[in-house]
Amino acid sequence: MDSDATRTARDSLELAFQMSNILDMGLDRHTLSVLIALCDLGLNPEALAVVVKELRKEPSQSSNIPADAPARS
Amino acid sequence: MEDQKVIDLVKELVNRLLSQSQTPNPNQPISTNPNSSIDSTQFNHALRYAIRILSSRMTPSIASDEAAMAESIKRQLVTQGKSSEALTFADLYSKFASKTGPGSINNKWAVLYLLRVVSEDRKLANKQPNSTVSRGLPAIFDSQLSDNSRVSNDKEVGWSGGVLMVSKDPDNMRDIAFREFANLLKEESEVSEEVLVRDVLYACQGIDGTYVKFDEIIDGYALYDSIKVPRATRIMVQKLCELGWLFRKVKGYISESMDRFPAKDVGTVGQAFCAALQDELTEYYKLLAVLEAQAMNPIPLVPETVTSGNYLSLRRLSVWFAEPVVKMRLMAVLVDICKVLRGGAMAGAIHMHAQHGDPLVHDFMKRLLRRVCSPLFEMVRSWVLEGELEDVFSEFFVVGQPVKAESLWREGYRLHPGMLPSFISPSLAQRILRTGKSINFLRVCCEDRGWADAATEAAAAAGTTTGRGGLGYGETDALELLVDEAAKRIDKHLLDVIYNRYKFKDHCLAIKQYLLLGQGDFVQYLMDIVGPELSEPANTISTFKLAGLLETAIRSSNAQYDDRDILDRLRVKMMPHNTGDRGWDVFSLEYDARVPLDTVFTESVMSRYLRIFNFLWKLRRVEHALISAWKTMKPNCITSRSFIKLQQAVKVKLLSTLRQCQVLWDEMNHFVSNLQYYIMFEVLEVSWSTLSNEMEAAKDLDDLLAAHEKYLHSIVEKSLLGERSQGLYDTLFVLFDLILRFRSLADRLYEGIYEVQARSTDDKKKLSRQLSSRSTEPGSWVSEGRKALTQHATKFLSSMSQELDDIGKKYSSLLTGFISELPVQQHIDLKFLLFRLDFTEFYSQSRPNT
Repeated sequence: MDSDATRTARDSLELAFQMSNILDMGLDRHTLSVLIALCDLGLNPEALAVVVKELRKEPSQSSNIPADAPARS
Repeated sequence: MEDQKVIDLVKELVNRLLSQSQTPNPNQPISTNPNSSIDSTQFNHALRYAIRILSSRMTPSIASDEAAMAESIKRQLVTQGKSSEALTFADLYSKFASKTGPGSINNKWAVLYLLRVVSEDRKLANKQPNSTVSRGLPAIFDSQLSDNSRVSNDKEVGWSGGVLMVSKDPDNMRDIAFREFANLLKEESEVSEEVLVRDVLYACQGIDGTYVKFDEIIDGYALYDSIKVPRATRIMVQKLCELGWLFRKVKGYISESMDRFPAKDVGTVGQAFCAALQDELTEYYKLLAVLEAQAMNPIPLVPETVTSGNYLSLRRLSVWFAEPVVKMRLMAVLVDICKVLRGGAMAGAIHMHAQHGDPLVHDFMKRLLRRVCSPLFEMVRSWVLEGELEDVFSEFFVVGQPVKAESLWREGYRLHPGMLPSFISPSLAQRILRTGKSINFLRVCCEDRGWADAATEAAAAAGTTTGRGGLGYGETDALELLVDEAAKRIDKHLLDVIYNRYKFKDHCLAIKQYLLLGQGDFVQYLMDIVGPELSEPANTISTFKLAGLLETAIRSSNAQYDDRDILDRLRVKMMPHNTGDRGWDVFSLEYDARVPLDTVFTESVMSRYLRIFNFLWKLRRVEHALISAWKTMKPNCITSRSFIKLQQAVKVKLLSTLRQCQVLWDEMNHFVSNLQYYIMFEVLEVSWSTLSNEMEAAKDLDDLLAAHEKYLHSIVEKSLLGERSQGLYDTLFVLFDLILRFRSLADRLYEGIYEVQARSTDDKKKLSRQLSSRSTEPGSWVSEGRKALTQHATKFLSSMSQELDDIGKKYSSLLTGFISELPVQQHIDLKFLLFRLDFTEFYSQSRPNT
């Protein structure tokens, strides 16, 4: 029974990961599994999405802008 | 414990995210990046931030529907042109959704939602740097939630001002302003716009929503008063919900009609109308389905880009609804009109609304009408080509009623003006009616089958099939063509049948020859033969004897060479008679027309023929009487010599009386023969020739009937039988009676003269045999010799002359009256009679004062 549950969980994760790849989310399997777990715990997906977005943005801003700004001006 | 687990997971998440965001940038000069390693401050900072976000009470703006979410994602992929990926996704999703039971993900919707939002964010982030489209304002959620970490986008916006804004203040001010605006919005309305949009969409399907419900009092959908929303929103919702009200109306009509249907109240046109409305509603449902799908998308406070996502706000909804509202309004109007109408009237009423300048409305109405009119056109087609009245619900503009065969043409079918749609002109309707009528007439009265070929030919010529559904609304030209072709052929066929098989012309001619006394020798014989018989009182005359006499007259005249069929139809008819009527008054001839010609020669027509016959018969009789009077008068030139023996005074008296008689006869003869001539040549023959010409030109039975009617009418009018010449007709009959009296007087006169003559010769021969034979005569003078004879002759002659004078005076006064009345008659041809009678101006000169 337990092995069944694990297999289902793994399959589900695999499917979700593939979907995320199609949608070009740029998340690795582990991050995704953490997110799914949080979702299952009843956290608001909207908020989770914001977290993902915000935290990913943070470091990239410093690298993006200098690279882009000269090209634009 | 749960919380602890969440915290752990969040920590892990933050850790993963931060580390991941570093590593996938290998092309970046990492060395220049000061954040190359995850220092604890940054981590803590991020963690705090994440927890704050998570603890905020943000809720997804849309209902949690897993399948709809998947659908939305798929559609998004498709719109991006990645259809193969969309398919893969759908496949994956179906597998994903089928995973149930222990170990599977419970909150699948949340996962999907997460996937979508993150992917959208990614896409935006990827697009932004290269996007040339100015990003007006940042999304509210972002600005609301990020405290100070969001600068990149806003900084980029700065380029539009021409100066790269480094200062953070404007951004912050902007953010603050947006936040305030969002708060304001939240304060103003308890209900979010998404919910309102959803409710409006419900209302537009006739379903009560959570906040928008049908209000019986104001008769429409409205927001609850208790719900706090801005006035503008309330009004807008109300406006949008007009569609719902209209929808309810249309829907109600359809379901009502369909429920009523078996009760035979709706009719095929009504059904077609309902079906067409139903189709329009299906279109409308499709639109609503699309809109509903779009309503899943959250509404941003301000549009992100010009071509931003497919979300629905009330304003967008009002744009979406612009067209359906027009259509729905139109449908509601039509529904209102059509509630009490049926059949052709309904189609006509709808047609009246099709005259619209707006191409949208026009197209819509055309589509609708095409459906609505199809049963009607089908009826027209089967009526025109098959003569079938397929009208179970009496919707067609041709109405049939069961009648006898002879009145089938005139009364069997008629137009129902109320059911005539206005796009079929009355003349076309007439033609349609006549064509179908012709077919039925052929079928019922003529027992003819040839029309079917004619109909097929007509359909082929008009380019339509004889099958169903060949015609539609808007093809009035095609319909007209079909009707014309069918009418042309079927009418021609009908006339062929009437002319050739039923010999209409022959029968007309026979009626003219016998009933209108055109066959002179026959009339003469008949008059000779039946004359003595008809002098008897009417109730003693046997019809069979007269029939025998008629047969004799036919056989002894040229009429015997006529068609047997025609002669068989000729019969003697005795009119109902009163006591004291003579045979002359009741005798008439009758012609049996039989089906189908009794359509032309109906009873009323035949009764008019009978009137004409009676008049002509009387005229003939008078003429006949005058001629026979002449026969007795003629020999007097010879006999006058034998009166030499008479006294001079008696002789003079005799001669003057005879002369008086002659003059009067001549005058009467002039009148009668001219009248006779006028009737025969100015009236009958002229009318006949007109009829013959019109018969040739007649295109259908109606033309034929009209021509015949005209023929009969002209005869009646010109023969003084019309109502307007009633006085003249009466005078004429008094004149006739006078002439008949004159005839008997002349007979008596000549009888007396002959007797005087016989007496005078008897005096010489003393023939007692003759004496005894005259014993019935009341003459004691016979034996009293010459003197008494002279005396008696004088007395007789003077009384005769007296009577002649009397008749002559009466006659001339009546005749002048008659002639003076002629010029004031309506009919121009009666003037010709006057010219003829008064050719030498004898009468007009004798009475110059009139």
